[in-house]
Amino acid sequence: MSAEAMGRHDAQSAKPPVGVAWRLKRLYLDHERAILGTVVVILFLTFWEGLERGWWTDMLRPLTVGAAERWTVKPIFISSPTRIAAAANRMFFVTGEIWPHLRWSALEYAAGLALAIGVGIPLGLGAGWYRRFAYAAEPFLAALNATPQVAFLPLIIVWVGTGVAAKILIIFLLAVLPIAISAQSAVRTTDARLVTLARSCNAGQWQLFRSVILPSAIPYLLAGLRLAIGRAMIGIVVGEIYGSALGVGAMINQAGSRFQTDRVFVGVLTIVAAGMVLSEVVRRIERRVEPWRAALS
Amino acid sequence: MASADALERRSRVPVWRLDVPGTYRAHERVIIGGGTLIGVLLAWELVARIGLMDPMFISAPTLIARAGYTLLAEGELWPDFQVSATEFLFGYALAAVVGIPLGLATGRYPRLSFVFGPFVDTLNAVPRLTLMPLIVIWFGIGIWSKIVVVFLGAVLPVVIAAQSGVKTNEARFIRVARSFGASELKIFSSIILPGTVPFIFTGLKYGAGRALLGVVVGELYAATAGIGHMIGMAGNTLQTDALFFGVLMFTAAGLVTVWVLNLCERRFETWRPKVGAAA
Repeated sequence: MSAEAMGRHDAQSAKPPVGVAWRLKRLYLDHERAILGTVVVILFLTFWEGLERGWWTDMLRPLTVGAAERWTVKPIFISSPTRIAAAANRMFFVTGEIWPHLRWSALEYAAGLALAIGVGIPLGLGAGWYRRFAYAAEPFLAALNATPQVAFLPLIIVWVGTGVAAKILIIFLLAVLPIAISAQSAVRTTDARLVTLARSCNAGQWQLFRSVILPSAIPYLLAGLRLAIGRAMIGIVVGEIYGSALGVGAMINQAGSRFQTDRVFVGVLTIVAAGMVLSEVVRRIERRVEPWRAALS
Repeated sequence: MASADALERRSRVPVWRLDVPGTYRAHERVIIGGGTLIGVLLAWELVARIGLMDPMFISAPTLIARAGYTLLAEGELWPDFQVSATEFLFGYALAAVVGIPLGLATGRYPRLSFVFGPFVDTLNAVPRLTLMPLIVIWFGIGIWSKIVVVFLGAVLPVVIAAQSGVKTNEARFIRVARSFGASELKIFSSIILPGTVPFIFTGLKYGAGRALLGVVVGELYAATAGIGHMIGMAGNTLQTDALFFGVLMFTAAGLVTVWVLNLCERRFETWRPKVGAAA
């Protein structure tokens, strides 16, 4: 009986209009987002490529007679998708010149971020746990938060020169605040009932911290870390503005001042790719930690 | 009866007893915060005065105040301030004018968001400051390159916030309005816009920080005027007092911007929809 019903249902669902046009429309509506997005991106890239190669001026020449020549954009200004791809291929696989830059930037980035985590997490946890410490730190954190931290760059250079230390410090300054602030709010939002319970079971400060506060803080800490990753990326580029010879940011700057637009784009895309990889890593960690949080609340 | 009267009278008499612990407890936050701030400033001054560290490198609060006074009194800072303020306001206003309608439109019409989505997402993944060298190639080292970088920094948070604001609108309200025959314009002005305004302010606040960052980096990178340029020059000539004063001006600018936006936000706070409260 049920099988019969099912069969009838199948027959019914197969009956509606089955023309090719209808199927195509169905297909389009199901994947509208992907199709529209891809088409627009391809159009954009084609327009860009054509602008650089002069396709559009060639096309418009009969209409505009001589005036079209003025509309040709010189390759040094805008580059083109194929030029960028060629430059990327050359820099990554032929000459391999980007690898030392990448290694150097990665070193600065890792050191700066590690410093930010090492300082920011204890600072934030402390400010969240000890009210008085929070009051003492508040004016400084608020001032630092309101200032665009890169404004400290010239000062940092006066102090430590233009070497690797300056980059590590600027990355630290950019990344430390999101980490500290998220750590502070993590402690503040810890379930007060759990803290009371642990206290009444005679848990020591350390035990309380390790088994109640830290586990419930981890998701917040990771959210802060994800923010910090993006901020620290800015640090690489901005930090290497001043007299750096190595690093992706320095490479972008040098290429920019020599009008090598394709190399600038390769550098920017490299940084974007690195940022995406890093935030994916954090997202993976978040997903692994997620059950931990669920079990706790 | 009489005793109650007396009690009342006695409580009305001002008691000039110094309640130190009570006062402290009531204002603990201000006292500790202010105390630490003053302590740090004093220590800084002392370290510089004694010569524990060279004032040329670390400056000192009094030196910074004096440098600030001189810069302001001689009007030396005014042109730089004007340039930076123009860049910030122009770029930020442009970001709001472009970003809010774009966000509202892409939030309302899914097809538009399919078209603009790839570009918004890509641009959002790029730290826009890395585009600085390109922007300088395209727009020169004048004021326009800064306006563009401020715009690029601020526009995306605004677009994304406005878009997600529209998307979280109560579908029930829109259905109700539709069944009463409200026009698209009416739905927009009386349901979508009011519900989205709080989100837009969040985006604007986030964008303000980005915009300020753009001013600083743009002017450090390549400029002929502006507070950021002044800071860079002061660093190159080891005038740490002027440098600190410039940084402080950016701090003040950041605080003022957030304050103004908070004021505006409070003005629109009543518009925030209370989702689920009526259910």
